[in-house]
Amino acid sequence: MSTKKIYLQPVPVRIWHWLNALGIITLALTGAQIRYPEYVSMFATYRTAITLHNVAGIVVALSFSIWFFYYKVIAGNLANIYVPKKDDLTTGLFRQAVFYLLAYFCGAPNPHHAKPDDKFNPLQKSAYLAVMFVIMPLVSLTGIFLMNVEPMRDLLFMLGGLKLLVGLHFLLACTLCAFLFTHVYLATLGKTSLAYVKPMWTGWEVEEEHGHEEGHVQDSVPARTAFTGAATAHAKTGS
Amino acid sequence: MKFVSQTSQRSIIIPAALLLFVCIAVGARAEGPGYSFGDSQGKNDACLACHGNQAKVAAKWYIDANKFSHTTHAKFGCTTCHDAITGSHPDGKTASFTTTCRDCHADTAAQYSQNFHAKNASCSGCHNPHRVYRPEEISGDELNRQCGNCHKQEKIVSSHSRWLPQAGLHLGAIACVTCHSKAQDYVISIYIGKRHGTTEEKLAPAGYDELSRLTAGEDIQSVIDRNRDNYISITELQQFNRDPANKEFFLKAMLTPVKPTHAFQTFDNRWDCTFCHASGPQIMQKSFVSFPEKNGTFRQVAVEKGAVLKALQTVPNFYLMGSTRNSTLNKIGFLIIAGGMIMPVGHGLLRFLTRKNRK
Repeated sequence: MSTKKIYLQPVPVRIWHWLNALGIITLALTGAQIRYPEYVSMFATYRTAITLHNVAGIVVALSFSIWFFYYKVIAGNLANIYVPKKDDLTTGLFRQAVFYLLAYFCGAPNPHHAKPDDKFNPLQKSAYLAVMFVIMPLVSLTGIFLMNVEPMRDLLFMLGGLKLLVGLHFLLACTLCAFLFTHVYLATLGKTSLAYVKPMWTGWEVEEEHGHEEGHVQDSVPARTAFTGAATAHAKTGS
Repeated sequence: MKFVSQTSQRSIIIPAALLLFVCIAVGARAEGPGYSFGDSQGKNDACLACHGNQAKVAAKWYIDANKFSHTTHAKFGCTTCHDAITGSHPDGKTASFTTTCRDCHADTAAQYSQNFHAKNASCSGCHNPHRVYRPEEISGDELNRQCGNCHKQEKIVSSHSRWLPQAGLHLGAIACVTCHSKAQDYVISIYIGKRHGTTEEKLAPAGYDELSRLTAGEDIQSVIDRNRDNYISITELQQFNRDPANKEFFLKAMLTPVKPTHAFQTFDNRWDCTFCHASGPQIMQKSFVSFPEKNGTFRQVAVEKGAVLKALQTVPNFYLMGSTRNSTLNKIGFLIIAGGMIMPVGHGLLRFLTRKNRK
C-alpha cells in the first residue's frame, strides 16, 4: 500500500483559516464576557473585552475578504468547491450522513476523498455554504453596525432597531460556536486525530492509495502552484 | 390657695409660650423665614403683569409665566426671594433681594461648595430660579444641556473618547450627572424622540407641541398609555412602535440618576464599564416613560417590569450591552450551542465504544 500526497490547502487558504480560527475563538470568549459580564471575567476589564472583540471582528472580516478574493478571483473555483451539485443533494448527502452515523463506527472508509477541486464532502459543502455565504456575512455585517451605532443610526432604524441586530448577532454567533464544536470534532475523524488538521497547517494531505506499486516524492512545489493549490496528486512510497 | 393658683397659671403660661415660640421657629425653618408656601395661583400676578410680558420688560427681566408658575419657587411667591422690592418699584435699583439660595438650600449649598465647580459657577450658573425642576421633571437631554453651557460638546466627546468606546453614543444615552454627581443609582428613563432632523434635534426628546399633533388635543400620555391608567404596559409600548401614525417618532432611553447630588465628583466605579454593563437584568426591570408637559417639564409614568429587556418592539433602539440581554434569546442561544455539542459528545462516545472496529 502506498500513500499519496495531495497539495490541498494553498497558502492564502491557510492564512485565512488560521486568522479566522484565532479571530473566532477570540470573538467567542470576548463576546461571552460582553454579554455575561456578571459571570465571565476572563479579560481584565470590560473595555479590554470590547476592544479585543472589535479588533478580532475586523480581523475576521478582513480574513473573510482574503478567502473570498482567493477563491473567486485567483483560484476561480468558489462555486465549484462550495456549492453542492445535483449529485451531492440527491445521493451524496445521504451517503455521507450514513458514513458519519453508521459506517464510520463499523470501520468503513470515508466515501469522499478530498482533491484540490473537490475538497469537501456533500455535508461539508452544505454546511460551509451556509456558514460562509450566510452566517459569516451576516454576523460580520451586524457586528459592523454595532461598532458604528451612532453614524449608522438611521440605517439601524430602517432595519428594525438596535435590539433586533443585537439579537441576530448573538444568535448567529451561537450558531458559529455550535459549528465550531462540530467542525473541530469532525477534523479529528481522519486516520489519525491530526490527519485532517495537518494539511491545514502544511498544505499537504497524505492519503493511502491502494493498487499503486510505486510513487514519487514531491519535494518542491512551484510558486504559483503553492499559491493557487492547483497541484495534482503526487504519490509517495509508503508502508 | 389663690397664691397657689396664680403660681400654677404662671407655670403653665411660660412653657406654653416657649412651646409656641419653638413651634413658630420650627415652622419658619421648614418653609423658610416668614415664607407662606401654598398655591401660586394669583400670588405673583402683580409681578408677572410686567415681568411676564416681553413687550413691557427687557429680555433679561422677562419671566416665562408658563414655566415659572408650577414651580415650588412660584408657590413661595416672588417677594419671598425678592424681599428688597419697595413700593416704588421699578425705581432703577437692581438689588431686589437680600436672600440667597443658601437660606433655604443650606445642605445643598454646603455640599456644592466643597467641590471645584463652586469656584466656577454659582447656583444660577446652572439653575434658572424661575425654571426650577425636580429631578424627575427634567429630561436627561436637558440635564446635559445645562452642563453643555460651559462644557462644549466636542471637548466632552474627545475627552471621553480617550477611554470610552463609542463615546458619542454613550454621551447621548447617559445624563452627565449619572456618573459625575456621586449619584448612587440610576433608572432608565424612556423619552419619545424624533427620527429626523439635526443631531441636536435627534438627541432632544420631542416637545409637547410636536406630540400634541398625534393626540388631537388629548393628553400627550395617551400617545402610549392608551387606556390612561397611568401605567404603561409592554403591549402599549409595542402598539406605539407599530402604529404607522408614529413613524416620525421613536422611543429612546437614557440612564438618569435616581437622586442626583451636587457633589460633582466621579465615583471610582464609574470608570469601570461594568457599573452599568454588569448591573444586570435586575435593575433593568424598572423604567419610566417621561412625557413632556405644556409647561416645559416632564412627567414620569411607570412602565411594566422588564420592558427594556424585551428583545423586540418595546424600546427597540435601546440596548445596554450585557445588562439588557433578553432571557429568551439566551435560552435559544444556549440550545443552539448545546446542539453543536451533539457531535463531539454523542458521536465521540460511540466512536470511543467502537474504536476496535477501526484498527
